Amino acid sequence: MVLIESYITFIHNHLIVCLAVFVTIIPLFLILYRKANVDPSFYLLQIYLITKLIIDLIMFHYATQRTNNLMYYNLSIPLRYALLSGMFYYKIESAVYKRGIIYSIIGFVIFSIWDIFYSNPDIKDLHNHSMVAYATTVECLLLLFWILAYFYEIIRMLKIPNLLTFPFFWVCSGLLLYYSSFIFIAPILHYTEKWENPLYIGFLNLVPYIFETLCLLFFSIGVWIFSIRYYAKQ
Amino acid sequence: MQNSDGLTWAILIATLAMLMMAFFVILFIVFYQKRQLHQEKKLHEIEKDYQRLLLDTALNSEETERRRIAQDLHDDIGTMLSLTKLSLNQLSKLVADSGIKEDQIMRKSQALVEETILHVRRITRDLVPTTLERFGLAAAIEEFINKLDNSKDLKISLISNTEDSPRQSQKTELTIYRIMQELVNNSIRHSQCSMIEINLHVNSTIIELQVTDDGIGFEPDAIKDNNLTGLGLLGIESRLAIVDGTINYEKPKMGGSKALALVPVAPAIDSKPEPLHPFRRQRVKI
Ligand SMILES: Nc1ncnc2c1ncn2[C@@H]1O[C@H](COP(=O)(O)OP(=O)(O)OP(=O)(O)O)[C@@H](O)[C@H]1O
Ligand SMILES: [Mg+2]
Repeated sequence: MVLIESYITFIHNHLIVCLAVFVTIIPLFLILYRKANVDPSFYLLQIYLITKLIIDLIMFHYATQRTNNLMYYNLSIPLRYALLSGMFYYKIESAVYKRGIIYSIIGFVIFSIWDIFYSNPDIKDLHNHSMVAYATTVECLLLLFWILAYFYEIIRMLKIPNLLTFPFFWVCSGLLLYYSSFIFIAPILHYTEKWENPLYIGFLNLVPYIFETLCLLFFSIGVWIFSIRYYAKQ
Repeated sequence: MQNSDGLTWAILIATLAMLMMAFFVILFIVFYQKRQLHQEKKLHEIEKDYQRLLLDTALNSEETERRRIAQDLHDDIGTMLSLTKLSLNQLSKLVADSGIKEDQIMRKSQALVEETILHVRRITRDLVPTTLERFGLAAAIEEFINKLDNSKDLKISLISNTEDSPRQSQKTELTIYRIMQELVNNSIRHSQCSMIEINLHVNSTIIELQVTDDGIGFEPDAIKDNNLTGLGLLGIESRLAIVDGTINYEKPKMGGSKALALVPVAPAIDSKPEPLHPFRRQRVKI
């Protein structure tokens, strides 16, 4: 009872943050409902959405208990990058980019783990666990690069008759908007998300959540128009 | 708690700029792709038009060449043969009383020349379907059938409703005539049939030509895939491409084969027949 009450108060106080958590259900439901997971990219998206939902719910729970939940966020970063860039692995045709994506996943996982240890000299102190310093920024840059590379390939190959009915274009657009909004905020999250002496940036803190929700809605549109018959041949 | 208004504003502006850029990138991709596709389609169309023009020219020059050959045959060989016949007639009067043997040779030569003249006339008329130009499709097909009927032991019939419909443009008529020729020739050559039926039906929008035989029939798809097609069926397709027509082969259950060609009507603007030899018209005038 107390738990549910604390949940409700938290939702009431942090509506935008919670929206970004619960909207995840929409694209996830659509993927399963429209059987979009036959496409490898959408299958990865489905896995990503499931892990995101689980991690977000865990973080949500700890947030209501006023416990430090940043460790889960830090752990989700390499996973998130691997799954999202994996989607591009299946969509990009150029072999060079494909190889680049594989290497970048390996490199990034190592880098982000290093970053967790670097940002937390005392790894055992979970209460004062803080956000990674560089990994989110690097993730933004890498993903923006893959998105733009994919866009470049689209206009070079001219294989898709109508982009607005091409599901993966919506996914890309959502990601592009999200990471564009996030790229300048990511570097300072390390200083804002702290128990002691945090940097205060006002509502800017909410901007990534807003765009995360938007991005999830774009995913939903993409999945909604997914239909095996109309899927442009790759 | 640290407070840093300056930093907040800087990040806000940077984020807005970044978002704007992202937004424009998306818009740019959508519109650029659309324009590029449009252009590609246009280019494709131009190419197709060009191909069609090329084909048209090729077929036109083929017809022109036929006309030229026909004219030359008629004017040169024909005249010479007529002269030869005249000379032979004069000669025959001279050798009339020489002897039976000479007389026989004489008659034989005369008969040969007669026959050659007939052949040349037939070839000339085959090369240029003059009946088609003067009296229209039905008459030309009728003539074509009559010629074949004499030579072959099979029944060919024509059912047409073109009497009260206007004449079609020369190109359309010639296309249909040549297609009919090829289809009938194919039936005679390949199908071992005893009956060929030609149906010519014209309404306000479309000309239907249907050629049916009762022979062994053929699988149209198999032939297309098998590379069995000779020049005939390919020629039909390329002729039809120029006039926006279509052809459809069928293998009816009762046996035999059925070909149905559809060509949009193109009424003749000026039904005056063309001169036999387009280049000679000027010479006559001078
Ligand atoms: N009416 C028909 N009945 C049976 N088989 C046919 C008939 N028409 C066409 N075919 C088959 O289709 C093949 C292709 O015909 P097509 O007219 O293209 O070539 P062709 O008559 O063999 O040669 P060409 O017309 O170039 O002198 C023929 O070889 C024949 O086997
Ligand atoms: Mg033939």
